[in-house]
Amino acid sequence: MKNKKIPKGLRDLLPEEVNKKRAIEEKLRKLFVSYGYKEVITPTFEYLEVIETGAGNIREELFLFMDREGGILSLRPEMTVSIARFAATHLEDEEFPQRLYYNANVFRHVQPQLARYREFWQMGIELLGASGVWADSEVISLAVRALREIGIRDFKVSINQIGIFNSLLNDGKLSDEHKERIRYLIESKDLVELSRYLESLEIDDELKETLAKMPVLHGGVEILDKLSYLNKNKGAYAAAQDLLHIYEALKACGIIEHIVIDTGILRGLDYYTGIVFEGYSPDLGYGLLGGGRYDNLLGKFGLDRPATGFALGVDRLALILDGERGEEEFYLVGGSELGKVMQKCEELRAKGYIVEMDVDKRSPEELRKMVETRGNCRLLYID
Amino acid sequence: MNQDYLTIALSKGTLLKPTVKLLKEAGMPITGIDEESRAMVFTFEEEGIKYIMCRPTDVPTYVEQGAADLGIVGKDVIVEQGKDVYELLDLEYGYCRFVVAVPKEKENIKLKELNYKRAATKFPVVAENFFRSRGLQVEIIKLHGNVELAPIMGIADMIVDIVSTGRTLKENNLVELVKIMDSTTRLICNRVSYRTKHEKIQPLLKVLKDITKKGGSN
Repeated sequence: MKNKKIPKGLRDLLPEEVNKKRAIEEKLRKLFVSYGYKEVITPTFEYLEVIETGAGNIREELFLFMDREGGILSLRPEMTVSIARFAATHLEDEEFPQRLYYNANVFRHVQPQLARYREFWQMGIELLGASGVWADSEVISLAVRALREIGIRDFKVSINQIGIFNSLLNDGKLSDEHKERIRYLIESKDLVELSRYLESLEIDDELKETLAKMPVLHGGVEILDKLSYLNKNKGAYAAAQDLLHIYEALKACGIIEHIVIDTGILRGLDYYTGIVFEGYSPDLGYGLLGGGRYDNLLGKFGLDRPATGFALGVDRLALILDGERGEEEFYLVGGSELGKVMQKCEELRAKGYIVEMDVDKRSPEELRKMVETRGNCRLLYID
Repeated sequence: MNQDYLTIALSKGTLLKPTVKLLKEAGMPITGIDEESRAMVFTFEEEGIKYIMCRPTDVPTYVEQGAADLGIVGKDVIVEQGKDVYELLDLEYGYCRFVVAVPKEKENIKLKELNYKRAATKFPVVAENFFRSRGLQVEIIKLHGNVELAPIMGIADMIVDIVSTGRTLKENNLVELVKIMDSTTRLICNRVSYRTKHEKIQPLLKVLKDITKKGGSN
């Protein structure tokens, strides 16, 4: 038997699927360009050290291999770290802010299933060298417009400020062991064990209650009032204020109908420092986009600049969007003399038509029969 | 995912009865749901509720993939599968515990003496993680049921299984050596539903929380 295996979690895309993907990419590309973002391409794999400098230890999810000098290489698991490395190398002397976008395949060693593949496509933007409410608002607005532009219905973008959680966790009263355990329980979404664990700790009751509530709070600005300990922790208070400012700003940007405050959004990767967000549609059980502020990441590569951005999962968008209309009309040109047939084909192509040449030198009758079964085809026979 | 309905995956088997009782107490529609029924989907149009009947081990899958918004299933199943779902509430019924059990003749054996031995189990992930966390290397033999048989037939030195009363162990001449963890029934939720259907899930969550706080539906 011939070997037709492909590695687990990878897939072939058929022409219709590619069409759909390209249509999405084209809409996003136009949108990103209209905001002044410029496309860059980075290598498909990087040194493991580079990935780990940015994203922390996520080795379990990486596809690793070695080069012949003994360096450990990793297929890129996402693009933001590569963009940060790129910026620190090439943009040092440029004016900031810089606006970059990418369209790239990324690789993660996950358990494959619907909407979760080991090679998948991300399109995203990074706004480098800008901080503050205006920059965050631009990026979140662009995320909302992106989902709107490609025709996702009923979507929501949930926003949070990662500083709220990080500051509370760093509250002097928690030991390193406690911190690690709480972070683990929140990341694994085990809220039952989380509230039990918090209950067992000898810390401020209000801090307990606030930490227990955070992963599940979801709504408008009023939800922040339920986190009573915020007023007792300077860092958390400042982060909450930042979140309020963004919320107000997004009102002014006219997109508040799509925005929800959700203190459970923490994002998995190490590098986030401020506002973070994720986009959801009721049509899919997984997120459609994710991003946020990462002010220390560029600094790790030697260029100390704030930054923010997001990435959309193109495969997931394709899953919930209807396909584009049927195939395009085309000409089928046949004949007995290659020169003449070829010339006619080129003529029609020059006018913008799609033209297939009959390379099998079929007779007019055979061609007519063929065309009858295909509605979108016009036949020409050159004698 | 259907936006108009709140879809809940229920575990068939021993959990079904207390689950239906709890749902009834919470004011949810339950007409016609019982073990005997062959229907796999129950739709209550007026209330906007849909139940799907699953094998317990399939509940986390339906919820993770968003085919169901919520699921009711034992913690034993959740830890074994490690799916990406929210665990919202301990419903406190269906108690059981994961244990390491050995034949009665070896009841005084120390855990570390089980290094490099063989353990039969339906829960290879739980078993592997437990032994590894204790620094032990144990060969895991995955079976699909009646694991008590494995030591009797000599293909394993011990078992890792869930027990509630311990009767089955006794009947098969086994004794509990170590408890790994407790398990009760949990309410789990899809990570997107939690956000997109918040206004439907939140009130239900509150009612269920109040009932369990009162001492449960038992």
